[in-house]
Amino acid sequence: MPQVKIIARNFMDMVAALPAMKLDQLYQNAFICEAILRSLPPLAKKYVIQMLFIEEAVTVKSMEEWVLPDGMSKHKVAIDRLLQLRIFSETFDRSSGTSYSLNPTFQSNLQKQITCGGVLPREPMPLTITNRLPSLEDLEAYALEQWECFLLQLINSAQAEKMTNISSSMMRIFQRGLLTQREKEPPRLTESGFQFLLMDTNAQLWYIIREYISNSEERDVDSADLISFLLELSFHATGEAYNMNTLTEVQRNTLKDLADLGLVKLQQGRKDSWFIPTKLATNLSVSLTDSSSRKEGFVVLETNFRMYAYSTSKLHCEILRLFSRIEYQLPNLIVGAITKESLYNAFENGITSEQIISFLQQNAHARVADRIPSVPENVTDQIRLWESDLNRVEMTPAHFYDEFPSRDVFEAACDFAREYGGLLWEDSKKMRLVVKTDVHMHMREHLRRQRQ
Amino acid sequence: MVNATKGLFVSCDIPMAQFIINLNASLPASQKFIIHVLDNTHLFVQPHVADMIRNAIAEFREQNSYEKPTG
Repeated sequence: MPQVKIIARNFMDMVAALPAMKLDQLYQNAFICEAILRSLPPLAKKYVIQMLFIEEAVTVKSMEEWVLPDGMSKHKVAIDRLLQLRIFSETFDRSSGTSYSLNPTFQSNLQKQITCGGVLPREPMPLTITNRLPSLEDLEAYALEQWECFLLQLINSAQAEKMTNISSSMMRIFQRGLLTQREKEPPRLTESGFQFLLMDTNAQLWYIIREYISNSEERDVDSADLISFLLELSFHATGEAYNMNTLTEVQRNTLKDLADLGLVKLQQGRKDSWFIPTKLATNLSVSLTDSSSRKEGFVVLETNFRMYAYSTSKLHCEILRLFSRIEYQLPNLIVGAITKESLYNAFENGITSEQIISFLQQNAHARVADRIPSVPENVTDQIRLWESDLNRVEMTPAHFYDEFPSRDVFEAACDFAREYGGLLWEDSKKMRLVVKTDVHMHMREHLRRQRQ
Repeated sequence: MVNATKGLFVSCDIPMAQFIINLNASLPASQKFIIHVLDNTHLFVQPHVADMIRNAIAEFREQNSYEKPTG
């Protein structure tokens, strides 16, 4: 799903923005190397794998020969990314010119990863100590509950029945950008807040984690440590218990916050305490590549615009309320309809028709998901039509020019405006011109010069 | 000498253009806002009327829609 990729790439951009020393420190962890490899654009991945067992540097020229001429732009993007992440380093040699070589730590770690397989710094604990582990379904239910509680609290504290243990200052950090708070008014969702709600769970997770990490510096926690711990966590096995005594103090504190988000489950025995990663955590590394993990859909949309959502979750109800009119709620079913008014409401809040349609398509119920199209076309077409109905008139601040002394001056002015991309309308017969206001100053200069 | 007038360039479909021209005609002379009618889909109007035009269009749209009474 491209959306998740964009958000995850933002996370990788953050990693790439770390100072050189921290990046090199990060690469000492083999799992980070693998996670970063997963997040690279496909051509970059190919280059890394090709260079993996080559000891010497490869010249830029020979690398360019690996690509067909129409792939040059993708080649440049890949090389830029590799240089930015300091995976490739440039060396200049008078005889052979510039060449690229792989970062040695990165290279050796990845080689080990490929040949010996990844070895986590901790082993799952034996069942004798942990007794009975929660089953995978229990774990998933727990993770979902925590995550939904967190989201509900994020968007509207009044709605959440159970308050999570996340401190209010942390909540405020996550809410920054998603909610606006005006005096004496309850906090309202911003446009990005609405879009956030309609995003896929993995995209939402990456966003929250990114905010968490960018905020870590203020709490005196090293962001590189945090990133390496999080990426390492995503490679653990779901459902296995890992002892907490293998973690540092910082990592333990982080785990407590992650437990509130539903990424891990903390449990305590008589002597030891352990954590169990849930699917949310392990999906983090999977979602770095383009593979989509399809979760259970729950929405059935009919051609008469009626919507049936088989869900009991409050969060789903809130999300559906964003763009549809909820008519009634039954114990396992939410019945609603998509109406013009409900959609206008959504459009006013900054949600686009594409977001609504992709949300409906991604969450289509299993019964209708296999149908092509999963959402009836008359509904999707109508949603798009209603959106364009709101934008029938386009207004641009502009200047109107007429009374040109001669046709040549008029033609010259037209070309000039066209070069600046500011020509809105022209009438050659009557020699009249409409140009955008931002180009007006340049136009005035041009006309003054023409007169001389 | 070339003459420059500042204003707002309006681009829309033909029915909307006619609606705006009609709106202009219904106003008293001091409040008329269309400077030039460029062709049947473009107009050049005074800069401050953007919101007024949008409100008028929204009202026109609401008059044309039926909402099922709830309850």
